[in-house]
Amino acid sequence: MPAPRAQWKGFLKFGEVACGVALYTAASAAERISFNTLNRQTGNRVRREFIDSETGDVVEREDQVKGYEVDNGQYIVLEPEEVAAAVPESDKTLKITAFIPCNEIDDVYFDKPYYLAPDKMSADAFVLLRDGMKKAKVAAIAQTVLFRRMRTVLVRAHGKGLIATTLNFDYEVRSAREAFEDMPEMEIKGEMLELAQHIIGTKKGTFHVSEADDRYEDALAELVKAKMEGRTLPKPKAVKVSQPSDLLQALRESAGAMAAADKKPKRTAANANVGAKREKAIRAASPKAKSGTHQLRAS
Amino acid sequence: MAIRPYWKGYLKLSLVTCPVQMMPATTDSEKVKFHTLSRTTQNRVVSHYVDAVTGKEVKEGDEVKGYERGENEYVMLEDEELDAVALDSTKTIDISVFAPRDSIQWIWLDIPYYLSVEDPLGQEAFSVIRDAMAAQKMVGISKLVLSRRERSVMLEPRGKGIVLWTLRYGDEIRDQNAYFEGVGDEPADPEMMPLVQQLIKQQTKPWDGKMAADPVQDKLLDLIAIKKKSLKKPTKAKAAPATPSGGNVINIMDALRNSIKANSGKHA
Repeated sequence: MPAPRAQWKGFLKFGEVACGVALYTAASAAERISFNTLNRQTGNRVRREFIDSETGDVVEREDQVKGYEVDNGQYIVLEPEEVAAAVPESDKTLKITAFIPCNEIDDVYFDKPYYLAPDKMSADAFVLLRDGMKKAKVAAIAQTVLFRRMRTVLVRAHGKGLIATTLNFDYEVRSAREAFEDMPEMEIKGEMLELAQHIIGTKKGTFHVSEADDRYEDALAELVKAKMEGRTLPKPKAVKVSQPSDLLQALRESAGAMAAADKKPKRTAANANVGAKREKAIRAASPKAKSGTHQLRAS
Repeated sequence: MAIRPYWKGYLKLSLVTCPVQMMPATTDSEKVKFHTLSRTTQNRVVSHYVDAVTGKEVKEGDEVKGYERGENEYVMLEDEELDAVALDSTKTIDISVFAPRDSIQWIWLDIPYYLSVEDPLGQEAFSVIRDAMAAQKMVGISKLVLSRRERSVMLEPRGKGIVLWTLRYGDEIRDQNAYFEGVGDEPADPEMMPLVQQLIKQQTKPWDGKMAADPVQDKLLDLIAIKKKSLKKPTKAKAAPATPSGGNVINIMDALRNSIKANSGKHA
């Protein structure tokens, strides 16, 4: 394997201690299934063109400048050099300005992870910071110019090394409180909460890393095949939403089904039948409602 | 201000299902927005599509998605047809597994979204799922199709709502061993640990979103304000390049002592 290429080289500084470090891309971006845009009339591919909105003439890349709209239709022009001048000169140093307890950090700010590795001379200082942060359960905040922008990164111990995660700027992050402010306060207690906790308990497991071969690609290929053969795929079934009056019953049945499934060797097979069972139960309405509760208590 | 949801669908735990909506947790709306202008005419530059073969403009209504079946062989797919893709995870987040939050490392987190109830009818069901996860200190793991890919997602209660993270695919994470080969297996020097612990303690602060401020955006806004008043050219402010002392093994101990001294001085 060839030596990985560093995205950035500089120093990581905590207090008066500095160590030479480099940043490496830790994760590549997910690629979506790309469709090509076609012209419906001709079936040909299309390409994008940039034109002057008034004259309709094509404007080449080098003739494009940035404009900030001050009044309707009035612009202040900023040349690329002027925008670049707003970025401070890089001192090539990630200076740690604060340590933050890991459990307090708002992860919604996270942008991209980079492996932060020391150069040969700096391993001792690097290991010291890594183990110190691990022990104190903190991550470090540092700022520097990365990729021609002033970025804040969060540095945390990760295995033998460190990960520096770039943070989104504060004005780019929506407040969770505001995002949820339209929802009413509702705290669930008693049997409902107990049942739901019980269901979660039966579904405890670990996150299995998935590979890129996703089922969507297969489903899409199936759709294309159907179209080629002149078939139409059946419309997806409408999802049945739990009515508030059904909720407790649905929880009881779920908990009951889970308990039953636990006794059988194959959970997936047992679960597959649950939907059908439930539809029957709904049709049969309330008289049978209590059996679900019984199952749970017995388990 | 009502924001149009990015995605609408259903959240499901076993037999409990409720209608939900989702929006990205990040936004460009507060960013200084520039338009592209033509330098010569100062008019706005807009983009449009032209037919790659005929060179003629393609009207918006004539744009259609093409699925490449072979070289230069496409099948046209309308949006309504795409909705018929037979996969539950396009519309329903069915939570299949629960795991402790700490078991999923930060490196897996890709894009965050805020998940909330779409219809008051589902409020109680949503709250049950959220509160039960919170009470068990668990996050939910599920699958969801977003941007035409089936992604693993993690659901974590947050206030009245839920934060949904897309998780990266296994083959997107680079093998860390290749990067940390140079780091030995020995732990840090036990004599220095108390000093570094002390330094960390001195500099530990509560989390504050302002730590992720953008000084450059402020400068650009200043520049725009200046230009608006007059047409003076700004001069580049030179930052004095720092000269780091380098990672010399011998002086780490001294450097740590100096750091702690410097910090205590500030607090006194």
